[in-house]
Amino acid sequence: MRKILALLLTLLLTASVFTFATAEAASLTPAELTIMFHGSNVTDDSAVLAKVNEYLKDKINASLKVIWGTWGDFDETSTMSLNAGDPIDMYFTCSWSQDEYNAYAKKGMWVRLDDPDNNLIEKYAADLWATLPQVLTDGAKIQGSDGLGVYAVPGYKDIATQNCWDINVDLLTKYGYTLDDIRNADYYSFGDILKTVKAGEGDSFYPLLVEGMVLERMATNSIIVAGDSGSTNLLSYYMNPTDISAEGPYGNVMLNKFATDEYKKFVEKTREYYLAGYIDPGLAVADTANDLRKNKQLTGQYLIGTQSYSLGYELQASQERNIHVEMVPCTPAYVDTTSSQGAMVAISTASANPERAMMFLNLLNTDPYLMMLLNYGVEGIHYTLNADGLVQFTDKRADYQPWTNGMGNVTLLTPTADQGKDFWDTFKAYYGAAKKIPIIGFTFDASNVQVEQSALVNVAAEYALALDTGAVDPAEKLPEFLQKLSDAGMQTYVDEANAQLTAFLAAQ
Amino acid sequence: MLPTPSVTRRPNLRLNAVSAPTETVFHAVLLLFSLFCVVPFLFVVIISFTSEESIRQIGYSFVPQSWSTQAYAYVFRIGDALWRSYFNSFFITAVGTALSVLMTLLYAYPLFRRDFRQRHFFNFLSFFTMIFGGGLVPTYIICKNVLGLSENYAALIVPMLFSPFNVIIMRTFLQTSVPTELIEAATIDGSGEYHTLFRIVLPVVKPGVATVALLNALAYWNEWFLALLYIRQNTDLIPLQYLLMKMQRNADFIAKNSHLLGAEAANVAVNLPSQSLKMALVVLIVVPIACAYPFFQRFVVAGLTIGSVKG
Amino acid sequence: MRAMNPGLPRHDSLIGSRRRKALLLASMAAPGALWLLLLRYLPMFGIVLAFKDYRAFKPNTFWNNILKSDWVGFKNFEFLFRSPDTGRIIGNTLLYNLTFIVLGLVIAVAFAIMLNELTSRFAAKTYQTLMFFPYFLSWVVASYFLLAFLDTASGMVPNLQKLAGQDVIDWYQSPQYWPALLIGANLWKNIGYSTVLYLAAITGIDRAQYEAAAVDGATKWQQIRHVTLPNLRTMIIILFILNVGKIFNADFGLFYNVPLNSGSLYSTTQVIDTYVYRAYMNSGSVGMSSAAGLLQNVVGFVCIIAANTVVRRFDPDSSLF
Repeated sequence: MRKILALLLTLLLTASVFTFATAEAASLTPAELTIMFHGSNVTDDSAVLAKVNEYLKDKINASLKVIWGTWGDFDETSTMSLNAGDPIDMYFTCSWSQDEYNAYAKKGMWVRLDDPDNNLIEKYAADLWATLPQVLTDGAKIQGSDGLGVYAVPGYKDIATQNCWDINVDLLTKYGYTLDDIRNADYYSFGDILKTVKAGEGDSFYPLLVEGMVLERMATNSIIVAGDSGSTNLLSYYMNPTDISAEGPYGNVMLNKFATDEYKKFVEKTREYYLAGYIDPGLAVADTANDLRKNKQLTGQYLIGTQSYSLGYELQASQERNIHVEMVPCTPAYVDTTSSQGAMVAISTASANPERAMMFLNLLNTDPYLMMLLNYGVEGIHYTLNADGLVQFTDKRADYQPWTNGMGNVTLLTPTADQGKDFWDTFKAYYGAAKKIPIIGFTFDASNVQVEQSALVNVAAEYALALDTGAVDPAEKLPEFLQKLSDAGMQTYVDEANAQLTAFLAAQ
Repeated sequence: MLPTPSVTRRPNLRLNAVSAPTETVFHAVLLLFSLFCVVPFLFVVIISFTSEESIRQIGYSFVPQSWSTQAYAYVFRIGDALWRSYFNSFFITAVGTALSVLMTLLYAYPLFRRDFRQRHFFNFLSFFTMIFGGGLVPTYIICKNVLGLSENYAALIVPMLFSPFNVIIMRTFLQTSVPTELIEAATIDGSGEYHTLFRIVLPVVKPGVATVALLNALAYWNEWFLALLYIRQNTDLIPLQYLLMKMQRNADFIAKNSHLLGAEAANVAVNLPSQSLKMALVVLIVVPIACAYPFFQRFVVAGLTIGSVKG
Repeated sequence: MRAMNPGLPRHDSLIGSRRRKALLLASMAAPGALWLLLLRYLPMFGIVLAFKDYRAFKPNTFWNNILKSDWVGFKNFEFLFRSPDTGRIIGNTLLYNLTFIVLGLVIAVAFAIMLNELTSRFAAKTYQTLMFFPYFLSWVVASYFLLAFLDTASGMVPNLQKLAGQDVIDWYQSPQYWPALLIGANLWKNIGYSTVLYLAAITGIDRAQYEAAAVDGATKWQQIRHVTLPNLRTMIIILFILNVGKIFNADFGLFYNVPLNSGSLYSTTQVIDTYVYRAYMNSGSVGMSSAAGLLQNVVGFVCIIAANTVVRRFDPDSSLF
């Protein structure tokens, strides 16, 4: 009953705020907003921005300037601008970019959006908040400079994680195996299949094509702990692979990733596979691993790979690689803090106009016209609609390709011809069914142990990838690794994480 | 620049030279090292013309399975932007080199003059900044907010106008090639300080000036980080090096993070001829500056003959 | 000394002309000095960042943030000494730099002299141009080149070893080979550059000195020893002092990109700059990176002053200041 009431209230508020905003647009003083996006490939935005600004003038009496950050430069330019207090109103942020959501919220760089004294969400973005799934609004709630609250607008995109075995089905069937042989096996019992295929394909063929760190998580059922060191994770939280929302084998506790029995078992098995010639030595070298993996995928030179899944990827992969690819899930899809903070937009505390920025973000995430315009460009120039009303891009699209997932609520977009008419229904069904892990919302704050963390990541970078791919002997290197970790203050680090987790669980 | 001695020495060429066997050894050593230096570049050229399939199959190789101009086609597809950035690079390098050589010479000359009492002060002023700096963020703030170096050519030229290292190099050249008597004689002849510098000292120190010019030109030509920092919106101004660096960094980033970015980014990644592209970019960057190199060489040589006539 | 010369202006105007000369010379240095003040000295207030826990306050402007951020003493420096490998990292940095300084100097001077002695103008020019090529290539590109040779699965060296029936060396997991590889790579890239500097210095030598020596019956070797090398001394010493000032700074690209960021090689490839970079990528702390930079600068400053003091005692003309 209360829920329904709340919903009704929200709807009412939504409607009133919306009419308020439109009616009052003229009475607002003109404002100029600047936003910095990630991953763009935009060389000509003039046509789009002309339309956007025309529209925004009517709606919120504002004009928009965009800094099209690219994959290659965003990390450097965004952190530089933030630290220098540049007058940029909004930034893309998330759990994996250099202007990391949690860390920069702690540093006071983001405006708290649900500040009790000035609740921007309530005032200007209630309808936006009502459209977001609860995992996202919960995941956005963190400890920042102004207390526990929301510091960015989460983008509604692929919000769950699911690690899969990426199977080259053509090769699998060539040796008389079926997908069920993979489904019924696990990492530790792949040996026979790998052996058969290696023997058949010859010496220069390596059947296991892995990303060391992802493989480790898949084999041990551990997840990325939000706030842990980004480059090389140090902490493990073991989840329950059969019932995601239940506690895992160790309960709700943070562990030294490299000191568990699971890890030892994993690296020993991997070493066995490496020595048997199942893993390419190039995968153990940080800078060659990615190119090598891509090359082997595209030429179909693998049997079993590791893949962090997103909906529909097996079709895309099959097309790209000209082979039949299937994804065999290792666990059900799950939502953790990291995936719920996958793409967000925050308002900078250096913004002169946080209110108007909030109005803009509300509009961007609820208004299909604006979202389409900023994402796909101008109809008739950058795309056309086909007979079914689906999007077909023109050649002009090459000049205007922002990163869709980095902008906001992608479900507002008209599906493309490739995606098909009911793409968003499938999308919402898949991601809506994903379950939350028990500690969702928990983010480790490493600021008290930053000295230890700095030393630890350097130690981990020395050993982890080589061990995770079997390139070095764990009998010799693992004890050495653990000793160095302990010398660098691993226990302090783990204790701090557990103290925070206990406090977090108690507060819930 | 080096062979010039032989010009002046030509009359007694064999008389005042190392023995023929020794020279053969010199040739062998230098030839070997030169090959060692240039083979990697040939390797880069080969990879830039290697098909992506070949790289995927057998990796980088001197003898690819198949050739392709796909990487160049990809770069040239950006069309106008490429030529504009070539122009920007030439413009920035030419203006920047001219101004910075002038500033370096003007600063180094008083430091070299022993009768200039304040030279210790100016020397230390410059030297100290080689060791201590304010760091990236404060420098960015001053350049952008105080000096207005943002979204303009000045932002790509001014921050590199002066280099204490080059000042020291220039001062050393002045010390080793300009005799004090030359300046004293000029002073007695009533030559003004600026006149002495540009009419009497400059011709003698031309090899040094050309060397410093070369170092400056290289620095300007290779610079891309300034563009990353200061050119965010006015993309008409970006130099070639940054345009190409951007493509390369994008390709690298996508390769490393495709699992974070979902299907869309994976899609982009496949269409990038990333590995041969990287090499094609290197070729496009290196060729113009490598072609300019002999020009500096000749300049130095010319300077030397004038200098030796005078001296 | 000029005052001794007859026919110069009267005493009072002499002072005037001295002052005028000083002013004129100072005016030459003025543009550079102004640039230094604005672009180098003004930002130096940023050094305080090394002792602050930099974060944003309201209003969020850089100046306000710097003022209000807490002083944390030397806390930002601690991460440099927390690692169990600190000794090894500093040792690597110093040893590599010393090797680079010594080998770089000897080889570049030798090459410059050799080039100068060649009778074929064309050959000398060609060698010199070719030697400069590595300077154009980035370390990333150099790392691909090395990979083509050493890659365990498809590299040329392991392929040859396989053909010869030898055990294949897993280069990127074997730290013992990397000191030699890194030293070679560094010389390969930088020799051309310093050779040019020395060569330009040699061409600046007054020909008369050689002719006088030749007339006195000096052999070519004696000319090199007694004319060329003494004339190069200033350049050698200056470059030496400058390099000593950077002894705590490592060439990041060489140590990070060339070994392809392979963890197993850290025992011989980890240097201060790569350690700081890996820590910074994680913490994003402006204070910690400022602290590391400041420490490197202070050590460099002490070394450079020491080297300069020694040089000034023996050869005041060649000292840096």
